[in-house]
Amino acid sequence: MPKFEVDPAVHRGLADARLNVEIDNGDMILNLGPQHPATHGTLRLVVRLDGERVVASDVVIGYMHRGYEKLTEYRTYPQITTLINRIDWLSSFANEVPFVHAAEQLMGIEAPPRAEYIRTALTELSRIATFLLFLGEMGLQVGAITPAFYGFRDREYVLNAIESATGGRFHPNFNRIGGLKDDLPWGWIAETRESMRKVLKSCDEFEDLVVSNPIFQKRTRGIGIIPAELGASYGVSGSNLRASGVDWDLRRDGKPYLVYNDLDWKVWTHSDGDSFARYWVRLQETRESARMVLQLLDVMPSGPVMTKVPKIIKVPEGEVWVNTENPLGEMGYYVISKGATGPFRVKIRTASLSNVSIAPWLLRGVYLPDIITVLASLYFILGDIDK
Amino acid sequence: MGNNVSKKDAFAKHLKGMLGGLRVTLRTMLKPAVTVQYPHEQEAPPTRARGVIALLEENCTVCMLCARQCPDWCIYIEGHKEKRPARREGGKDRTVSVLDRFDIDYALCMYCGICVEVCPFDALHWSPEFEYSESSIAHLLHDKDKLGEWEATVPVAEPLEIGAEVKGKK
Repeated sequence: MPKFEVDPAVHRGLADARLNVEIDNGDMILNLGPQHPATHGTLRLVVRLDGERVVASDVVIGYMHRGYEKLTEYRTYPQITTLINRIDWLSSFANEVPFVHAAEQLMGIEAPPRAEYIRTALTELSRIATFLLFLGEMGLQVGAITPAFYGFRDREYVLNAIESATGGRFHPNFNRIGGLKDDLPWGWIAETRESMRKVLKSCDEFEDLVVSNPIFQKRTRGIGIIPAELGASYGVSGSNLRASGVDWDLRRDGKPYLVYNDLDWKVWTHSDGDSFARYWVRLQETRESARMVLQLLDVMPSGPVMTKVPKIIKVPEGEVWVNTENPLGEMGYYVISKGATGPFRVKIRTASLSNVSIAPWLLRGVYLPDIITVLASLYFILGDIDK
Repeated sequence: MGNNVSKKDAFAKHLKGMLGGLRVTLRTMLKPAVTVQYPHEQEAPPTRARGVIALLEENCTVCMLCARQCPDWCIYIEGHKEKRPARREGGKDRTVSVLDRFDIDYALCMYCGICVEVCPFDALHWSPEFEYSESSIAHLLHDKDKLGEWEATVPVAEPLEIGAEVKGKK
């Protein structure tokens, strides 16, 4: 076969011609990621632009797939709690709770009341830690760097509280089937009360610094609006859906879990559904969570934190679906057990996957700089998307 | 005219929002810094912090429970059995397990603490020590001598919070 040779000048001409066609077409393909700082991980976004407006976009996921559903089939129940910490690494304690509840329901045991109260307090603390990072980082995405520092500073107080109780800063692994690993250390309640006051104060700061800032409002108001029905049909959950005016919170409306029914709290909603509404709802929820923790610390019952469980945990045959309100939205585990030391199959429903699935619809027609704002306001964690 | 007024209003609103934010930053500026100049200054980690696992060699009976329960199997244990003379006069010789190798690969360790928890003879402990980074990943494999050195840094268990159940002696 003769070698097909083309003069390099022709190649150059062809490349120019293609470029001209693309320019004439008026569309440009822009590739964001997978290593883009604004995507909190490895999310790839392919955007088709007409001038500065987005015509179409595609979200490419899976760069961080770690195969949790398969891994759980080869681990025992106590080993799984340490793995599933890493699904959503910002609110790792909240990841453990639904799984441990699923195993407890299958075994027909219940954690003692003190353990449930501590679990609730730590879940809310991890919610505050997650949201404080969002409140700061959202400022960063619109070009203000100061809120990011404030967010990280205030998150430290919460992480210190989690670390001194559980021993792990990001990956507590504190839940055990039938209770908790250990009781709280001496002085924890007083320290946490102090840091919750700091959190409430810093929420006021965010209100002054970010929410009432005219530039922030111009960058977020009326941009990236999720209509309530459409959001629900995409499976968007959590604060994203509440920011569209849907009054739905699994802590109140779902199957009762932990001790939320004993507390005095409120579900916050916003009717706008835009980026600003999502920020505002999360700010209010941070406040509400801090108030909930303060209430929990006041009424913490005494007693053991662990029920009697066998040394080798074998979960009887059965299936159970447990879903909870995680900081990012609805998270659930469908656990099928065949009576062994480990589950037969686990299906993990993570909030971020559904939340980010609306992005192609949401990004249609927005300006290029607003892509980052809209994505940041959806608030997803890549580990939570790719599992 | 009306347009003029609304412009003025918008300007006032913008100014108010800006000044509100600047007030926050100014207040923060006057407060002392919250950051610590590591490594010149150090904050002590909490007593419970899971920094490094320490091994008390004489308590280990080579039962392999920790190696088996580890979620990513990063503990390597080898041992052999030895005959020791009986404790009492005229008794049978005892068989004891002697630890030859006890390695933890900290490049793999997930710091979950399952090994410390399952150890039936209290040979493993958590220490909040965290400064053992290495320039080569192979040096993160700590052998039993190195794990034994960490034992000196293990803190005394702290008391529990009010309302906790005090475990009685069995």
